[in-house]
Amino acid sequence: MNAPKQIRAALGAVLMCFALFAAAQGDLEINTPAIAAIKQSMQARHAQLGPLFASGAIGLSRDGNVAVRDASGVPLAQRAQVNALISSENADRAALYREIARANGRPDWESDVRATFAQRWIDRAPAGWWVQRNGGWSQK
Amino acid sequence: MPVAWLPVLLGLFLTGAADAARLDIELGRIEHAAFTAENVRVTLNLVQATGTLSIARFSALGRVWADLRLHCSEFAVAAASIECGRGTLTLPGSRETLDVQFAYDPDAGTARAQVRSAAGELVRAGLASSGEFRAVLSDVAIGRFAEVMPQLAEWQAQGRLNAQIDYRPDPSARITASGRLHGGGFSSADGLQAAEGLGIEFDVRGMFREGGWDWGGRLAWGEGEAYLHPIYLAAGPVLEAEGRLQGDRLTLGNAKLALEGVDAIEARGDFELDPLRVRRAAISVGGADLGRIGPDFIAPVLAPARAATLRFAGTVGGAAAFVEDRLVGLDLSFDDAAVAMDDVDVGFGPLNGRLPWRADSPTDIDIAVGGGHWQQLTLGAFALAARVEGLSIEVPRLAVPVLDGRLILGDLALRRIAAGWTGRGNATIEPVSMALLAEAVGLPPMSGVLSASLPGLRVDPGELALDGTLVVSVFDGYLRATNLRWLEPFGVASHLFVDVEARSLDLTQLTDAFAFGSITGRLDADVRGLELARWRPVRFAAELRSSPGRYPRRISQRAVQNIGALGGPGAAMAIQRGFLGFFETFGYSEIGLSCVLRDGVCAMDGIPGARPGTPGDGFVIVRGGGIPALNVIGYNRRVDWDELLERLQRVIATNVPPVIE
Amino acid sequence: MMARLALGAAIVAIAAGCVTINIYFPAAAAEKAADRIIEEVWQLREREGAAAQPPAEGGAK
Repeated sequence: MNAPKQIRAALGAVLMCFALFAAAQGDLEINTPAIAAIKQSMQARHAQLGPLFASGAIGLSRDGNVAVRDASGVPLAQRAQVNALISSENADRAALYREIARANGRPDWESDVRATFAQRWIDRAPAGWWVQRNGGWSQK
Repeated sequence: MPVAWLPVLLGLFLTGAADAARLDIELGRIEHAAFTAENVRVTLNLVQATGTLSIARFSALGRVWADLRLHCSEFAVAAASIECGRGTLTLPGSRETLDVQFAYDPDAGTARAQVRSAAGELVRAGLASSGEFRAVLSDVAIGRFAEVMPQLAEWQAQGRLNAQIDYRPDPSARITASGRLHGGGFSSADGLQAAEGLGIEFDVRGMFREGGWDWGGRLAWGEGEAYLHPIYLAAGPVLEAEGRLQGDRLTLGNAKLALEGVDAIEARGDFELDPLRVRRAAISVGGADLGRIGPDFIAPVLAPARAATLRFAGTVGGAAAFVEDRLVGLDLSFDDAAVAMDDVDVGFGPLNGRLPWRADSPTDIDIAVGGGHWQQLTLGAFALAARVEGLSIEVPRLAVPVLDGRLILGDLALRRIAAGWTGRGNATIEPVSMALLAEAVGLPPMSGVLSASLPGLRVDPGELALDGTLVVSVFDGYLRATNLRWLEPFGVASHLFVDVEARSLDLTQLTDAFAFGSITGRLDADVRGLELARWRPVRFAAELRSSPGRYPRRISQRAVQNIGALGGPGAAMAIQRGFLGFFETFGYSEIGLSCVLRDGVCAMDGIPGARPGTPGDGFVIVRGGGIPALNVIGYNRRVDWDELLERLQRVIATNVPPVIE
Repeated sequence: MMARLALGAAIVAIAAGCVTINIYFPAAAAEKAADRIIEEVWQLREREGAAAQPPAEGGAK
């Protein structure tokens, strides 16, 4: 008499499994006020970073950050500002990766989020930009 | 380095002249302490009085040149001297030729030479019979020295040199060099170490003693700019130094750097040059004006991302010690120093005291902080006493006066990791009067006190969690805040999470304080997952309801109207309008309102389970009771939060009852 | 009794397996989320629209 009940329970567990799996494979939560604030900050900064990417002064590093590649084309007096800009951008990026992990209830996903972003920033970078791949800089 | 060839030239013409019209002389290999020349050949044309010297391989100063050719259009061999006039030296590997003249008197042991390039560079050198040697360089490109100093090419060094170099062999060898580099510059491949437009005056001297050189000199950087990652420097600094060079070991006996904004910078040390390595070194900085060196030197190194918002004032002094390329000790002293971060509106100062640090042993920090501010809150004076060990800091107790209370941090142990700070501690807030706090932060006057016991303070990169309870006793009831978490405290996404539970707030006092009309009664509230970004709520699930118990429950006409006004144009009130004119206050049995805020929209509901008894999707906010009774019913379940706040502010600010038709 | 135990164990195993699946980082969803954010930060949609870049540009390389 108990067996059918148990089979039902097993089926239920399997279904629940799919439900959980589906949830895990669904969209990640990225619509939080904090993520929106970071995105806005990064978008505003991109007006300044864009030309630096295009000129090759900076590039996308393997670790999901922005790094100096060749600052020679930037006037000396502005190189400190470029460094400050990159530091701010990287601080925002660190916060973004943390926040996405947090928003999905999994702070431990931070490094996975960072790795995913690192790859996507590089993949989506327009032609002409410099990106860091295994070992060195290369131009897209 | 044309001067280097002089000894070659001197050494070659010792052979006598021949009597043929054309004479080839094979000199083979010539060795000297300073150089080696191989396959040396001199071809003389006695009719035309010209001569050609060729060297297949010439090595000096650790470098090798191949296929050197010097052609002299006027070649004269007199009784006592050999002269080469209108000579042309062909440099190997380039099409460039140099104009050369020289004269050599082997008997007197004197020589003079002049080398000029097409670009106008000129070197004049003379050797006296005493062995004294002088070279005068005019506008010589420093790229010329790349042959002997490959680093110059690596660093794309530029500039022209005007200098006078004197060498005196006796009684002990002495070299002096003085002059000026102009139009100088260099750059590393990534542009992170670079300089442009350099104008440097120098005056250096060296004396050979016991197998090494005692040296000293002065460099005055008068023009140009440099970026030495992450610091930008402009001309101005003057360096005076002396020491000893023995083999590849450089000793810096005493170096003084004059830098604007700093009283004194001194350094001494012991280095290895190849590769460059610090054996031990010490540097001291006295009387540095933080207002000047803070933005230029401290912010770019310690907090480049915040460089634009950091403010410094006061004076700092310090000393640092290095052993084997490693910082082993640091001592900082502050004299009326102040630091502030504009963007998060935090500042401390004046700071007085000492901050010692040792790589291998713990040290104690003792700094008196004169005060500070956080947003609109003024903080009182406190003492920061901490123990530092490596990259860890322990603060046994830190008591910061806040208004009439104190914020006390205890057993704080923080450690610096790659991503930021991490650590544990506890926090207590000794009662702060709400009257003062409300005044300080611009809230309506209210009485009560705020205190907190937060035994679980956790710091992680991008997170400050405060496990425990913050209690505000106010309006004759209390608010309890728990699960405080402050995320990204210093970033653009700074936001605070907290759960708030309010019990038995006296509505008379509350509504009076916010000029909302008058409600008599008591209120309980639960706000779960309240998220504040820049002190504005962005998410929460709130539930307000009448406190249980027996107490008078009346609501004024104005309060009813205000609640109505909050509902906006779409809201309707099930109020018997006829009554409104006659009565100032109404009885009620229950108030209940909930709002779930998400994405800027407040999803509203009223008293749980209460049916308005009117058509439509209404919800009961105030359920009437007693005489006269009235129900306040909301119909707008989705309210734009910003609009709601605006209306609330208008209701409070204007203090004018909105019109209800 | 043994059969019942075995079945019970199977349920536990399935449930455990299910939990394991959920622990995995949802790489595909993360990529999608990253792309959405990257597009916004770099304002790629407008630019790609304006420049009419080939869709291969966005693909993995």
